[in-house]
This record gives sequence, structure tokens and C-alpha cells, in this order.
Amino acid sequence: MALRDLVMGGAGCAVPDSNGAAGASSSNPLGGFASSLLGSSSKTQERLRELPALPGPGQLSSAEYGPLTSLPGSEYDQELSQQRNAKGSAFLRGFYGGDQQGYADAWNDVTQNQLPPGFNYLRPKEEPPIFSDFEQIYNQEAAISGRQPYFEEPPQQVLSGFLRSFLDSSREEVPFYPVRLPELGLSAADKQRIRDRSSIMARHFFAEKGDDYVNAQVTALLQSLDIEDNIQAREPLGGRLSELEQYWNESHSAEAGSRWRGMAQPATETSNRWVEEYSQHRDFPSRHESWAQEFQSQHDSDSWANQFSEMTERRQLRDGNFGGIGALEQTRSLVDTLSKNQDPKFQNSKFLQFVSKMSRGELIVEDNHLKASPALGDSWANEYHTQHASNPEVWASEFAAGERARYGNTWVDEFGGERQDASATEQWVREFSAGDGTRDWADEFGDRLAKGMFEEDSSADGWLDSYNKFVEEQVRGEQQLPASSKWLYVFADQNPYVGHPNPLKEGQDLFRRGLLSEAVLALEAEVLKNPDNAEGWRLLGITHAENDDDRQAIASMVRARDADPANLEVLLALGVSHTNELEQAEALKYLRGWLQNHPLYGKLVPPVTIDRLNHSEQVARLFNEAAAMSPEDGDVHTVLGVLYNLSREYDKAIQAFQTALKLKPRDYSLWNKLGATQANSARSADAINAYQQALDLKPNYVRAWSNMGIGYANQGRYEESIQYYVRALCMNPKADNAWQYLRISLSCAKRMDLLDACEQRDLDLLQKEFPF
Amino acid sequence: MPVFKTAYNGYSVEFSPFVETRLAVATAQNFGIIGNGRQYVLELAPTGIVDVVSFDSADGLYDCTWSEENENLLVSASGDGSLKVWDIALHPAQNPIRSFEEHSHEVNSVDWNLVRKDCFVSGSWDDTIRLWTIDMPRSLRVFAEHSYCVYSTVWNPRHADVFLSASGDCTLRVWDVRDPHASLIIPGHNHEILSCDWNKYDDCIIVSGSVDKSIKVWDVRNPRREITMLQGHTYAVRRVKFSPHRAHLISSCSYDMTVCMWDYMAPEDALLAKYDHHTEFAVGIDMSTLVEGLLASTAWDENVFVWQDGMDPRA
Repeated sequence: MALRDLVMGGAGCAVPDSNGAAGASSSNPLGGFASSLLGSSSKTQERLRELPALPGPGQLSSAEYGPLTSLPGSEYDQELSQQRNAKGSAFLRGFYGGDQQGYADAWNDVTQNQLPPGFNYLRPKEEPPIFSDFEQIYNQEAAISGRQPYFEEPPQQVLSGFLRSFLDSSREEVPFYPVRLPELGLSAADKQRIRDRSSIMARHFFAEKGDDYVNAQVTALLQSLDIEDNIQAREPLGGRLSELEQYWNESHSAEAGSRWRGMAQPATETSNRWVEEYSQHRDFPSRHESWAQEFQSQHDSDSWANQFSEMTERRQLRDGNFGGIGALEQTRSLVDTLSKNQDPKFQNSKFLQFVSKMSRGELIVEDNHLKASPALGDSWANEYHTQHASNPEVWASEFAAGERARYGNTWVDEFGGERQDASATEQWVREFSAGDGTRDWADEFGDRLAKGMFEEDSSADGWLDSYNKFVEEQVRGEQQLPASSKWLYVFADQNPYVGHPNPLKEGQDLFRRGLLSEAVLALEAEVLKNPDNAEGWRLLGITHAENDDDRQAIASMVRARDADPANLEVLLALGVSHTNELEQAEALKYLRGWLQNHPLYGKLVPPVTIDRLNHSEQVARLFNEAAAMSPEDGDVHTVLGVLYNLSREYDKAIQAFQTALKLKPRDYSLWNKLGATQANSARSADAINAYQQALDLKPNYVRAWSNMGIGYANQGRYEESIQYYVRALCMNPKADNAWQYLRISLSCAKRMDLLDACEQRDLDLLQKEFPF
Repeated sequence: MPVFKTAYNGYSVEFSPFVETRLAVATAQNFGIIGNGRQYVLELAPTGIVDVVSFDSADGLYDCTWSEENENLLVSASGDGSLKVWDIALHPAQNPIRSFEEHSHEVNSVDWNLVRKDCFVSGSWDDTIRLWTIDMPRSLRVFAEHSYCVYSTVWNPRHADVFLSASGDCTLRVWDVRDPHASLIIPGHNHEILSCDWNKYDDCIIVSGSVDKSIKVWDVRNPRREITMLQGHTYAVRRVKFSPHRAHLISSCSYDMTVCMWDYMAPEDALLAKYDHHTEFAVGIDMSTLVEGLLASTAWDENVFVWQDGMDPRA
């Protein structure tokens, strides 16, 4: 019942009765429902009066027409066309004639008793079995998530802002630099939804342009959002579109050999063609043999098959890249189609611009980042085209080599990247040991060594350890990397504080004075000097968080946790940072850890760690218990707020933060959290007030400045949002997110003239244009 | 004329059958592609349109319908496959009072029975139609003959057991709840059919709106060929509704962002009016049964307009 209280907000009993007509209130929603039904008696009376005389077809019936079946029967044409103007219900009489029995049968499910249909409605409680059944279902629903999560996915503020700003910016023909993908944090379920819905909807918008157009639009959209298209979204089954389907398939397979798209398709398509070819030859045994030989000689041994499967595997790893190019090709010819609609209103449609922009392949996903598609796409496609036409093998090896090199460039990213299946890992390991990929890594490693950032032993061990751990985990078939190996702390190149006698104290000092970027350097010097100093790492993490750099914040906090696994502040900070990065499982793990290590609340946490216990409603329950134990503990309410953010229950989150703020009114980070939550639930105006509170308390709070910018941008007040972004960037020019947001706002505000300044990070010019 | 700004993209608007100043608006975040939903209940006040209450849901809401029996109840069709029943007399925290979770894909339509007022019908992207009553935990009937998404389900205004559905399989189907098989199948358009409705004065006349941009009016007694075809929309027709007051009047809205009024019996100029007050796809339209000529529309531009037919919605 605690869960249910949670849903009811514990306010079930205290709700003032706003239903004057009903005149009765009930803490039981079902009871309340029943009473409100009874209350509106006039309406019920009306229905009761009506029911006995229900104009069931029986009264109208004459048995002359049997039930209609399927397609319009010609038998009706003559009869009915004569009656056409006889305003009767001849057609409807056809429905089962006077079969009262049929009527009763059909409604039996409703009534299940001898009373006339409808009466049962007023006495639902006389059916305990059904009702308790329902109660059960209802309770399941009430318990949030569980079976079907009620609010299951991460906050949408970033995605929402991204989509909208993206639509706005695409109005002008400027390259768009979208937000990094990890911040979109789309879950598998979200991706499934986007895939299904966009493909169904796109068929409505673009039907007349043909199926290939629709498919290309959808493909590009999905690939832009890093959504694999290997799970086929729903295709229309309507026979009417079959010609288009066929056209699509034909044109597609005809060109499959010369197009990236061919490779990007599930392997079956290509192999199907092989099979076809093969079976054609089979009719002529002699030719068959020669063909086989030819094949053998051309594609010596298994190399082709290997290459192919390698590519397929890689494709899975780097889906966006391949598909992006495919989509680029596919959609190039379609770029103009939308713009052909001369209606200016249409040209300005945010939605159409969004879809069209996406479909142009101007976005591709690379190494987990959304990027504007470079010219590279072209040349690759061309290269592939020509080389493949002349000599597939050369191409294949070229491709493999090129791919490996690229792969090497990015392996560090990949390392921390997404799920990889065991075979892919093996592949990776092989490649890694082949040497091509190691150069950059080695360089970087060497650089770091040269800079003396690591002590030789520990660092080498560290790298090796994490590498081994990674391989081990992959072999064990773990689907996801632990967060710790994903978050590598990156030190600044130049650090004047190295060699400082007491960098920690200096860092604390700088932090207090609000000089966050300086504080970062001092604290980095501290943790380089004392890598096991949990406090140094923790403060470094907090500084990064306030400086709007969550990834570095998490990296520092992970190190702080390694140094002191039970540090409450660290666990809380990690929970919050992971929430910001929309990593629910990690966030829950740390929040639960916080509770576990808390001297007061530790005993609330059941000792056995089952996976289910990390589910948000379980953790939320624990925290609610904790809040009941000590309602004056602001931290507990803060964590509750964070948890409700994770589960998208923004109203409750706002309530929790407001409670926490009553206890800790001067906690600027709480004000910031409140603001972010309000922004998430589409209350941008409230959010701006909260951010202002945070800034009043801590004027150098970079994150609040850039959040303020987001708040204004979400309201379409782009000029103001630019001011705030510029202000934030002046304080921390390294806040990459803020640069991206700034770019979006600049294009929304039609300040194309300043995009270059933004590109070159020319703060002087931007400040001049947008003085605060 | 008043305007109301919703937080999310509008999907459906329905006047209350009980209170002439009340309307329900179903909305979905991010054009319904991903994100939350919010069901609004709005009131036409002298000062404009005000928000009486709103209910949040975890997934976008695509359609809504008022109970014909209880003025406080309404049902929303959700993207997560559920149907949410809300009681506006209760605190939002106590809502939804029901969540029916049987559809395996997005629910695109829901309609309350006008005659037998204790049940409603829903159409879903899982290709099925389900019949529900509020005090049964599970659906009473499943109608699974469409071969693609069901976009629209509407009860006959006079016959308690007859309803009409429109689907992406390019057919309209007439159903009798006593029969699991469709009583009539009309292959009505060459593209997906997104919307349909019954004439309120002649229970044999239906209207359909399709992705092929056309609106067709049919007589179910002679379904071989439409009575008339209304052309004028330049993109898919998203919703069509017959007037509750005038037998020949049809309203429609479209992805071409306009709302149109038609007289389907007019000899030549069937198009009576074209409103282009929306700036994104217009997806929701309703005509008040209690106030003749009162129209409401909603669109992905997050605006809800209420106006008198013949007036400028923005004026």
C-alpha cells in the first residue's frame, strides 16, 4: 500500500471535494467514482428511461434481410438503390434482424445477471470476484512501473529542446551542430517508439511522394538519432501500396551492389541475391561448376565471406556512419521535394523542417556523437562505387584497411562505447592486436606518460586493468560497461598549480570565490599529487558539475568513490550526475548506495542485492521511508526529487525539491535542480525564477547561467537565451554543451552573421553583440 | 476569439456533451513521436480559455472522448497502448481512475457510445478495435479484421450496436458488436484512411478522410461508389466530422494546416470555408452539440482555438 500512497501522493483522504453535483467525496477512487456516478442522477435517470425502449434493431426489424457479409453484396444493389431515398434504416435493419437473443448474448459480458442491460452499472459491488480482479489490476497500475512502467524513461528536456531548436535552426540553410547523443539518452523502448511512430506517421505526410521517399525519410531520421533499423518498423499491409513496395524493392536491389544502402540492409537481402543467382545456375550443372570455380578463384577462400561478415558486424557497431551515408545517397535526390511546396506556412513548419532536415542526412552519428555529415560521406560513397564496380576484392580490402584506420582513431571512444556483442569484441581484440589501431592510443598514452600525469606503474596497470576488465566483461557476456571504465578523467594540458605546496587548500579557496575554472586546475594538481585523496576528487567533481561539465564531474566522482567508497556526498553527487546524463541504472545504484551507507537509513536497505532492488520505485520507497524517519533531512528530499526526475514524475519531483528548499533555502544547487525539473515539465517560466534564485545565491554558477539560457530558448526568447549562454561561456569557455546551445539559439534568432564567431569561439565579438 | 496554449502538441479536441463551455484536449510531446502526454480539460471563461484541470501521462495522448453518461468522466487514448479514464471531480493525483491495457500498440482513437451510454470503443495501431465498458476490467469484444493500423472508430448516432472504423488498410468497415466480423467493408480510398464519421441526421451516410487528400461521402446502402468526393485539402485529411446541427455540413482538418467546412450536397462549391489559423498540422476539430456553429480546433502548433463558424478564429 505504500506504493499506492506514493501514487496517490498520500493525499487520497485530503482531497477537497470539487464535485458539487456528486456531493460526496471518498478516499477510494473507485468509491469516489461510484458516488460521482450516483450523484449525476439526472443523467442516469435519463439513461434508465431510455434503456427499456432501446431502439434495438429488433423493433425495427423485418426478417427479410439476413446479416451482411464482407464485401458489399450485389444482392443489395437493386433493392437498396430503390430505397435509397426512403429515409429508413434499411441497411441497418440488416444487422441481425430481430435477434434479441443475439443482442443479449453480446452484452452478457457486461451484465452477467438477469437484470436488463445497464442496471448492473449501479451496483458494481455485487460482483466481488470481478471487482477484486479489477482492484488487483488497478493496484498494479497504481504501483507505477512494475509490470508496465508508468514513467519509465529519462527526462525529455534535452531531447525536446533539441527537436524544437533543431526545427528552428533548420529554417536557414546553416549546418547544424546538434547536442551530443548521450545526452539524448534514448532508451531501447524510446527508440522503438520513435521508429514505429515516425514510420507510420511519415506515410501520412509523404504518401504522395512514394514509398521510397517515405522510407528514406524515416531511415535518415532514425539513423540521425542512432536508432538501428534492423528491427523492421511496421510496413503498410494495404494492397494499394504494393506497387510502390515492389518499385522500391526492385530499384533497391538493382542498385544494391553499387550503393551503400545495399550494405546497410540486413544481410539477408544480399545473400538472397546470391541464392537467386545460385539457383539460376543450378539448372545447368556444368555452368554451375564453372560458376563455383569462378567464385572460388575470385573470392579466394573465405575472404569475401569474412569481409562481409566483418563489415556487417562493424555496421552494427557503427551503424550511424554507414547508414548515414546510405541515407545521404538515398535522400540527396529528395532534398528539393519539400521545398517545392511554395506555401510559406509550410516552409515554416517546424515539424516538416525537422523531418526534412533529418532526411537530408545532414546529421550522422559517429562515435556516439551526432555530427553534421562531412563531405567524407560523398567521397566514401564514390570510392566505394567506383572501386566496387571494377574490382570488389580491392575495394573490400581498401575498405577493411580504411575502416581499421578509422577504427583506430576512435577506439578510445568505442572502448567506452555502447553495447557490443561477444563476437564484435573478439573482432575488436583481433584488430587491436593487429596493431593498426594502437597508434593513437599509444601516442596518447605516451603523451600522458611524458607529461608525468601518471606514475609509471599505476597508470600502466590502470590501463591494463581496465582493458582486461573490459575484455573479461565482454566475454562474460555483460551487456553494458560499468560506468567507471566509461568515465576517464581528462587532465588539462597546462597546469600552473602543479608544484603548488597546498593545491587542495588553494582549490577550496578558489571554489569558494567562485573561480571554478581555476579551482579545477588547482584541484587537478591536488589529485595528481595525492591520487587517493577522496576529498580532492570530490571537490573537483563538484566544481566540474557547477561548471557545467557532467562527464568530468562523473569521472572525478568515480575516482573519489574509489578512494572512499562510503562517502555520502560522493554517492549523492554521482547519483545526481548520472541522472543528468540520463543513466537510470547507474543513478539508482548510487542513490541506493547513499542510503545504504547512511548511518541513519542504512538499516532500511535490505541486505540482499537483487537487481530488482535498483528499480526506481523500490528505491523511491526506501527513500520515502527515510523521509518518514527524519522529515527534517533535506538530503533525503533532494534524493527523492532526483528519483522522481528519473521516473519522469515531475510534479512529485518539484514537490520534493520544494520541501528540501524549505529546509535548505540557501542551497543554490537545489534551486538549480528545481529549475531543471520545472523546465522538464514544460514550466519554463517557473524554471527561470528558480535559476534566478540559484544565481542570486551563487553568481558564478555557470550551470545555472546556461540552464537559464535553455529556459529562455524553450520559450522562444532566443535573444535572452544567447545572453545567458554567452555569460556562461565567458565564465567557462570549455562548457561544450553551452557552445552547442548557443549555436542553436543564434540560428533560431536569425543571427547567422554570428555563427562564425560561435564556430571560432570568439567570445569577445559575441559579448559585444550581446552585452549582458 | 479565445486561444489556449498547450504545453505539448495538440492531438484531439472534444466539446463536453454536458457543459457548453467545457472541452477536452488530448496532447502529446514532440509531435507524439516520443515523450509525455497531457489531457487538458478547458473552460470557456469570459476572459478566455482557462485550464480547469490537466492530467499527465507517461506517453503521448492521441485522442479523447467524453462520457455520455457522466459529465465528469473522459477517456484518453494513449501512445503506450492504454486507455486512461479520468474523473475531473477527483484530484489529479487520484487519476487516472482506470487504465485499460490491452492494445499492444498505440491507441489512435476512442469514442463513447451515444446510444448505449455505458461503453466505448477504441482503435489501435495493433490493427484491432476493442469494446469496453467502464466497470469491466477487460475489453468485452475484440474486432481484429483490419490488416493495418486502425485510425478511427465512431459509433452510429442512432444504433447502439453499430460502429464504423477507418484504417490504414485503405478500408472503412461497419461493425455490429454482436458479430465479430465486419458487416460491411468499403475499400474507400487508394491510400490510408485516417478518419471517418456518421451523419447525425441520416444514419446511412458516412464520411471518410484519407491520406489521398480527399474526403468522400458514402451511403452504406450503396457502398460501391461514393456519393461525392470533396477535394481541396492539399495534404492528408486528418479528421472529418459531421455537424450535429446541419445534415449536410462537414468539418475537416488536415496536414495542410487548414480547417475546412463543407456542404457535401452543394451542387458546385462544396467548400464553404477554409480557416488557416494554425501554423502546424491541424489534427483536432470538433463542433459543439450544445452551441450551434461553435467550433474548436487544435494542432501541432500547441494552440487550441474556439470560434464561431464564419468568424476569424484569430480575431
